[in-house]
Amino acid sequence: MATTTIESFRCMMCEHEYEEKVSKGEDVERSCPKCRSNSIRHLKKKKVAKPN
Amino acid sequence: MATLDTVDELRIGVFVCDCGLNIAGALDCGAVTEYAETLPDVVCAVRNKYTCADPGQNEIKDAVREHKLNRVVVASCTPRQHEPTFRQCVLDAGLNPYLMEMANLREHCSWVHPGDWEGATAKAKDLVASAVARARFLQEQEELAVPVTRRALVIGGGIAGIEAALELADQGHEVTLVEKQASIGGIMAQLDKTYPTMDCSI
Amino acid sequence: MGLSSRRAVYIPFPQAVPCSYILNMDDCLGINPIACGKCAEVCEKDAINYDDQGEVVTRDVGAIIVATGLDVYDPTEMDEYGYTRFENVITSMEFERLICAGGPTDGHFVRPSDQERPKRIGFIQCVGSRNPKIGRPYCSNICCMNTIKDTLLLADHYPDTQNSVFYQDIRASGKSFEDMFQRSKEAGTRYIRGLPGDIDEDPKTRHLIVTVENTTSGKLERHELDMVVLSVGVQPSADRDKLASMLTLSKTSDGFFMESHPKLKPVDAPTRGVYFAGFCESPKDIKDSVCQAGAASSRAGALLNAGEIKIEAITSVIDGEACSKCGLCAKVCPYGAITWQKGEVAAVVEAACAGCGACGATCTFGAITMRHFTDDQLIAQVRAILAEKPEDKVFGFACNWCSYAGGDMAGISRIQYPSTNRVIRTMCSARVSEEMVLEAFRCGAPVVLVSGCHYADCHYIDANRQTVKRVQKLWNKLEKAGVRPERLQLEWISAAEGQKFAKVMRQMEELRQTVTADEIAHAREALKPKPKKKPKTKEKEETAPTAS
Repeated sequence: MATTTIESFRCMMCEHEYEEKVSKGEDVERSCPKCRSNSIRHLKKKKVAKPN
Repeated sequence: MATLDTVDELRIGVFVCDCGLNIAGALDCGAVTEYAETLPDVVCAVRNKYTCADPGQNEIKDAVREHKLNRVVVASCTPRQHEPTFRQCVLDAGLNPYLMEMANLREHCSWVHPGDWEGATAKAKDLVASAVARARFLQEQEELAVPVTRRALVIGGGIAGIEAALELADQGHEVTLVEKQASIGGIMAQLDKTYPTMDCSI
Repeated sequence: MGLSSRRAVYIPFPQAVPCSYILNMDDCLGINPIACGKCAEVCEKDAINYDDQGEVVTRDVGAIIVATGLDVYDPTEMDEYGYTRFENVITSMEFERLICAGGPTDGHFVRPSDQERPKRIGFIQCVGSRNPKIGRPYCSNICCMNTIKDTLLLADHYPDTQNSVFYQDIRASGKSFEDMFQRSKEAGTRYIRGLPGDIDEDPKTRHLIVTVENTTSGKLERHELDMVVLSVGVQPSADRDKLASMLTLSKTSDGFFMESHPKLKPVDAPTRGVYFAGFCESPKDIKDSVCQAGAASSRAGALLNAGEIKIEAITSVIDGEACSKCGLCAKVCPYGAITWQKGEVAAVVEAACAGCGACGATCTFGAITMRHFTDDQLIAQVRAILAEKPEDKVFGFACNWCSYAGGDMAGISRIQYPSTNRVIRTMCSARVSEEMVLEAFRCGAPVVLVSGCHYADCHYIDANRQTVKRVQKLWNKLEKAGVRPERLQLEWISAAEGQKFAKVMRQMEELRQTVTADEIAHAREALKPKPKKKPKTKEKEETAPTAS
């Protein structure tokens, strides 16, 4: 079963920071929910999400 | 294979294309040509009205012979359009096609910076300088030939897919036609009569 | 379409190919033979197999023609026309069923509510076309002529019907189309310029009241009609997405497949050996679909007849002596084209290598040369562009297939952006090594852009995932060196996204203006290569021929 974590990201264009659920091994294109930029920096892992 | 070590002397020719007014209407092609002449290892810089046309290509071929060019830079449009054209051109002139490099003065410059003569000209110069810098490191390359499987796949059995499959079969090729429904015919088969002939669809 | 019922065993339509019965397993009771199994009993040839399963068939092919066609727009969301509320509002596809001799009414044109023949019929054009409000801005191409055809059919079958067409423009530009339009008018069809605001129903008579602003007269009109046909738009088939990622095809903002060149290569996909026919590439009618199918098969035939293709000489070459045997290159190769075993030198299978350059950018030992896109060539370009006044320039890398092509699209569409931008081309964004980006900053670039294909569009399977990893690493590296990491940007721009290319260039220019001279000077110093590494490029620089 894929483990899911909540991880934080930072948009390098508009500086918006946000959290998102990430499942292990996923392959998704990221874009900033605010400005649509693809310059999304993956910050340190945060916490393990409760399985849903 | 010729490597940089075996080439005694680099002799680069730069061909700046006006593309009618497509390029020359938005930037100073004359200045770009003059600038190209000052770049390292450039032995000739020529301005053409249409480099891709026969006279333009002949100018490249003549210059290759006359100036013993061993690298060619064509400053015209996107390599995604005319790279095959100019590769063939230098091949005709006796050079390995991989010794040709392009600078994209049209799609990436004149067409997107109209009304900014200075800026577009400065950018064009940089694009040419970049192409020349790259050309100095170009090497001859040989292409690998790979056999093609003589069978075609057509995805979709509507009117377009059916026609394409029949046409290919008529040419003598084996064709596999894939359709998700139980019958071919697609949307067209759902029509009663079709324009402009007003006859039935099937 | 829900106009009549169908048994669980049926022939799709009388002229179906293949003309054989199929079982609809959702409706069949035969999965439990005790419940039914009648069809198997009566079939003399034992052709019925309840347990038949789909199977995967594998075929090697040299050319693919994509002809995935279209889906018809479902007008449910346009509630003002009451498609789900009023029985006598139908779509143009349902009209085809009702007037078809093989249809549920045997070709007798009747309205659904009372099976009576309608005398006053209205056609509403552009339902789901040319309507940016519902995200469908394009013209579906075929609906005007289809409605004109329908009015002529009705006039022919039932000369006493009164047809009204509500339209915004009639587009009848094909051969003999205008003639048909004139004939429709001569047959008594009324053409009313204006798209109805809404439709109401008289609950007693089930007649429909159409309210429309006639833009020719400027007056608000009410039309009582027996039946309304929504001339629905069309859209590329929903299945195409899966195919798009399988064949690395890009789509325009309207969802149609992007051709190699809008004028010169209208049937070629950017992926070699793949061609388009029909609606999947753009809205077109039968004649145009047939024309394009001919063109596509001719292009495919030429490729098959040639018997062999030349592979562009851009493949990877490994220098066995310089190889550190680490195996990183084999790991990042999307094609499995690099063979490597622990403790052994890596080697490239040339026929399997597509030339993305992910391996070349990953190797830190200088053991990999990407033919025609060598480190020397690309670094030389970086240096040449940033040789003078680098502080005024927005420097970027763009991949050949998508972002560079997106730049071309901006050019073809004449979308303007600041002339400060300078882009160099690599085959894939994964070719852009750390060194190349760092070199740009060392040369004084205020900002650097790395751009590639969207995830689904990557022309080297998934090579651009390496780009993401590398940019993440670089952000960390820049930060450690005290360089503002935001000066390095990453964007995915498809071949169709000229608009986005221009927007990104404008944003990059804004970003450039925030970078101070001190920052640039600091980056030049802070990112200087460590002395033990990189003697190789320096050496080559010196041996490279200089101006005579």
